[in-house]
Amino acid sequence: MITNFQVAYKNLLRKKVRTLLTIIGIALSSWVLVSLLGFNRGYERALNKDIDNMGFQLMIMAKGCPYEAATMMLKGGTGLKYMNKSLIEDVDRQPEVEKTTPILMSAVFDPNKGESGGIAGYFGVEPVSFAAMKTFLSFRQGGWFTDPNAYEVVMGYEAAELEQREVGDMILMPEKNVEFRVVGILNRTGTQDDGTIFAPLGTLQKIFDRPHEITTIGIKVKKGADSAKLEAKLYKLPDVQIVSLQQVKDTIMKLISTAKVMVLSIAVIAILIAMVGVINTILTSVWERMQEIGILKTIGAMPWDIFRLIWTETLILCITGGILGVVFALLLARLTDILIRGVLPYAPGGGLVLIDLRLVLTTLVSIIVIGLFSGIYPAWKAGRIRPLEAIRGDSGR
Amino acid sequence: MTPALLTYNIFKRGKGFLVLAALTFILLVASSGAVWAAVGCDLNDPDRDVARLFPESTGYKTIYTSIAQKGGEKLLAKIEAGLGDRFHGIYETIDVPYTIYEIYSSKKRIGYIHGVNQKGQYGGIQVFLVLDLEGRIKGFYIQKMTSRHAGKLRDAAFGRQFIGLTIREFTDYDAATGKAGGKIAGIKNPAPEAEADFRAALRAAKKNLVLMDEFVYKAASTGGIQK
Repeated sequence: MITNFQVAYKNLLRKKVRTLLTIIGIALSSWVLVSLLGFNRGYERALNKDIDNMGFQLMIMAKGCPYEAATMMLKGGTGLKYMNKSLIEDVDRQPEVEKTTPILMSAVFDPNKGESGGIAGYFGVEPVSFAAMKTFLSFRQGGWFTDPNAYEVVMGYEAAELEQREVGDMILMPEKNVEFRVVGILNRTGTQDDGTIFAPLGTLQKIFDRPHEITTIGIKVKKGADSAKLEAKLYKLPDVQIVSLQQVKDTIMKLISTAKVMVLSIAVIAILIAMVGVINTILTSVWERMQEIGILKTIGAMPWDIFRLIWTETLILCITGGILGVVFALLLARLTDILIRGVLPYAPGGGLVLIDLRLVLTTLVSIIVIGLFSGIYPAWKAGRIRPLEAIRGDSGR
Repeated sequence: MTPALLTYNIFKRGKGFLVLAALTFILLVASSGAVWAAVGCDLNDPDRDVARLFPESTGYKTIYTSIAQKGGEKLLAKIEAGLGDRFHGIYETIDVPYTIYEIYSSKKRIGYIHGVNQKGQYGGIQVFLVLDLEGRIKGFYIQKMTSRHAGKLRDAAFGRQFIGLTIREFTDYDAATGKAGGKIAGIKNPAPEAEADFRAALRAAKKNLVLMDEFVYKAASTGGIQK
């Protein structure tokens, strides 16, 4: 015996182009929905990873000092402010602090970079405390400098690539006219460390005539310790500013969430359009088959039978479109990632679109439920058709 | 990317993002390049630099290519033979992306600008050649160089010595040993103290010409990038 599903399936095949277009509409909506929800989760995960990769949760700087290399570059290498390295002892005394590391940022002008020159940035670090905080750093070649006052550098992956340096090569610090030997090249991390040149803290202090001075203290907070309380205590130190990476993350997430609401509303509009498409397709199909439905009723079909038949058609459209959309989303996740990365103001490293089974099922169920709702009106309309009027060709629509 | 830059970028581009995000999903059918490729050599400011290096130009088209993409190991061997030296170091590899600026005057193609990275004594050197349609050097530009004598080697007077030369003249230059004959021997080093960087600049010029010969001038006869 022919089933309800087979009848519905055959009905849809009667108008192949219309059915295909409706399925494409649902598939596109489903694709957008999966990709956006996947992006929502993936972005936060990637951002968390990026923040963790910075190695420390808090940074202390002298008031008004740009707090990392990028800002320093934007400001043309100016605006650096210094604090005494002894401050680190006050920080170490706090019970919430697990580790600290001193950093001296410095910048020199290189007149032979491009047409109008450029800034070359150097980070003075103590390899033991710095590496202990950035445990994710690994070496492509060589290792850290061993002498705290050596004229040696460790280069981030991209810095080494740009300067075509290998271990054993020399680099020249423009402006200061000082040579360094490259002793290590780091593997790519996807963080700002990739573009950084690290030198021993003592060496940079000497070159820049800043004995006992640093620009930054990186702080790793003990697990479970109250970071906010520590921040409040650190603010009592004279003339310093505290940068909490959690705050930075919260700010980014707030800014991104506004944009995400806008993007999600686009997805909702796409779904509404798909819903209207489904209603239109099924309703047109009902109207076209008015006489057929009338005959079905005449030979004993009950309104519920007609309702079920029409609803099954909706279900087939939604399931097919939904699955197709999910397949698109899975196949093109990498491409979506690249495109999102191209338009986002800031994209953390790693995958930005995270699609898992739960998300796939949630989307499919949502699409099916939305589709079934869309199918209620056409199915109800079909169920209410009066047989004689329908056969006469006057359904009163 | 760092917190300050993130925040800066978000504020700077926040408005555009909303519009662009909407377009993202429309553009999903478009394709894009690889993210983690080896480092290439691009002009810092192509609009400004093309106009300066090729004053008669009215526009340009950017073409991306690599040895891996154009012919793989076989092409690499050919290029190394043409250069007279092996590609060495961890940064001179088969997958290095090359950017060729195809220069136009109105709708007419009038030449090319192409740059290569070269290992110098104290850092990477970026050497750009301005070429006519026959592969003759019209201009020589070192975009970046770290050296105590970079100023002399980046000076226009040094670059002028290359004008008119082609790949044929460079066959007299041994990129491995630095021994030069013919017209190349006539190129004077303005900074004898920076002999290594002078040689690096010559090797970069030869490498640039050999690559352009394979990518553009020879490819024209085989249906590749048109000459």
